[in-house]
Amino acid sequence: MRIIEIDNVSFHYKAGTPVLENVNLNVDKGEWITILGHNGSGKSTLSKLLVGLLRAKQGTIRVANVELSETTVYDIRKKIGIVFQNPDNQFVGVTVRDDIAFGLENLQVPRGEMIERIEQYAQKVDMADFLNKEPHNLSGGQKQRVAIAGILAMETDIIIFDEATSMLDPKGRNTILSMMKQLNDEGVTVINITHDMKESLYGDRIVVLKEGRILKDDTTKVVLADHKTLEKSSLEMLLPLRVLRALEAKKVDNEKVRSYLWQLSLTG
Amino acid sequence: MKNIVIGRFVPGKGFLYRMDPRTKIISLVLLMASAFVIRNFTAMFMAIGFMALLLVAGRINIFRVLSGLRPLMYLLAFTFIFQLLFNTQGDLVVAWTLHYSPLNILMVTALVMLWFFTKRHVKFKFFFFLATLVGAVALVANLRLGPAFATGTLDIYESALTTGFFIVMRLMIIVTLSTVLTLTTKPTDLNLGLESVMSPLKVFRIRTEEMAMIISISLRYIPTLLDEANKIMLAQASRGVDFSEGKFKAKIMQIVSLLVPMFIISFKRSDELANAMEARSFVPGQPRTRLHQLTWGLADTAALVVSLLALTAVITTRVVM
Ligand SMILES: Nc1ncnc2c1ncn2[C@@H]1O[C@H](COP(=O)(O)OP(=O)(O)OP(=O)(O)O)[C@@H](O)[C@H]1O
Ligand SMILES: [Mg+2]
Repeated sequence: MRIIEIDNVSFHYKAGTPVLENVNLNVDKGEWITILGHNGSGKSTLSKLLVGLLRAKQGTIRVANVELSETTVYDIRKKIGIVFQNPDNQFVGVTVRDDIAFGLENLQVPRGEMIERIEQYAQKVDMADFLNKEPHNLSGGQKQRVAIAGILAMETDIIIFDEATSMLDPKGRNTILSMMKQLNDEGVTVINITHDMKESLYGDRIVVLKEGRILKDDTTKVVLADHKTLEKSSLEMLLPLRVLRALEAKKVDNEKVRSYLWQLSLTG
Repeated sequence: MKNIVIGRFVPGKGFLYRMDPRTKIISLVLLMASAFVIRNFTAMFMAIGFMALLLVAGRINIFRVLSGLRPLMYLLAFTFIFQLLFNTQGDLVVAWTLHYSPLNILMVTALVMLWFFTKRHVKFKFFFFLATLVGAVALVANLRLGPAFATGTLDIYESALTTGFFIVMRLMIIVTLSTVLTLTTKPTDLNLGLESVMSPLKVFRIRTEEMAMIISISLRYIPTLLDEANKIMLAQASRGVDFSEGKFKAKIMQIVSLLVPMFIISFKRSDELANAMEARSFVPGQPRTRLHQLTWGLADTAALVVSLLALTAVITTRVVM
């Protein structure tokens, strides 16, 4: 079932300098898609269009069969959560507890349930001991985990992570990724915007953006091996696949080596 | 840089900490009003006694309250002196002839020099300064050393003393009360209380919830912006801007070099924050449920009754007497 349908969407901040051009993208319910692209390719802009923070200049966006418009935008926002890049600028509450509560208060979740969800999701991101802490006493990674908990607690059908792990250390990143995996297994649709090729391994599908256009939209396995596309959008191929390519260039064609290298890259 | 945060909350115990912020705010207003109405000595001394009791019972560190009064001292002294000089009602209490003679002036100069060189070793500088001032005047009035080249008079009337006293006490009571409120109430609770107390203003279409939200976000971002300012100052210092000294013009340049980036950063921040809030389904003016709820206890009712009684008592004494 389609949950997001982006149909021929274009956008610009300033007339004459298009940021997104004729973007077509469909996302199925429960899918995990990765959006890759160089700096300024329009990834964040696309995610803002999806939650109606920006209005498309052309084309339509449908979320769960509802067309995004001025009247439907509030209902659609209840279905999509979005974790932004800079944790400092999305921390609304005076304490961690207040911040996780913010979205729930907006959704008018009853107080008793709110307290339960705060507890539950703070635990999920490993921040349960920090509930009374104020943001300026937290590290960047901790603040980002709070931001993630704040979105998870809202229990939306779709979650967009806009370079949400770029502030985290490898361990923090892995916990968040496995948490995303768990969510996805529970049926949440995940859109992960990232620069990290390894992160894309978790997803079903990769969409590559370049200068506001979709350069490639295919399964993870296909895109990862597509050196031409990756090169064009200044992304670096994963090491095992680079090795494989070098071997193939030297006409070393061993089925065992090939499958081993693939396995190596897919297990991260 | 950090000490410019006003109204510092200091964690502690005491019954004032457990009280509902709404009670504290309403009581504060009632007691302040009482302080303004008071016109007789008995009531004023009772009020001062009440304040002392409040501080002791609330287990509040008296020095914190005093430090809250510190910035007010000059104003108080000025008001008092102003009253002494210009209020001419009631009986004459002091009638001094000021004796300006070269020797007297020399003595005063000596006194001032003494003050100037010892002041840095004295704890309560302000009182030392006042004492020196009073001493100098008393000296000129009572010591007649040598022939005077001019004379003057210093007349102080009864009402000057009483009015001065009342004004000073009133201001001190008000500041002490507000200090007690901010010392014992977390900014977030204070905000919550204010929102609740002001909610009747909604009748006049004043959006109290949004005001409270703005205050709460400001509270959350003050430390962040201070950190930011520190970072910018370090960055500018490493480029050769000297924040510690300089003439007026240089100071202005320093402030500009701090403010411009601060403004740019704050605008970017608030833009992103607004996006994040909207994305989390915040719609201004829409109803929301609340995590924090204020709970009204028996002690709150009691406190409110006491404050109300104080106000009525003060008003009746004034009407009757
Ligand atoms: N508020 C804005 N006003 C004007 N132009 C903007 C604004 N935000 C982004 N842009 C421009 O739009 C283009 C796309 O920006 P966007 O933030 O969507 O890129 P991105 O793919 O998310 O990049 P990054 O990987 O750096 O996060 C960039 O050229 C950027 O300069
Ligand atoms: Mg971006």
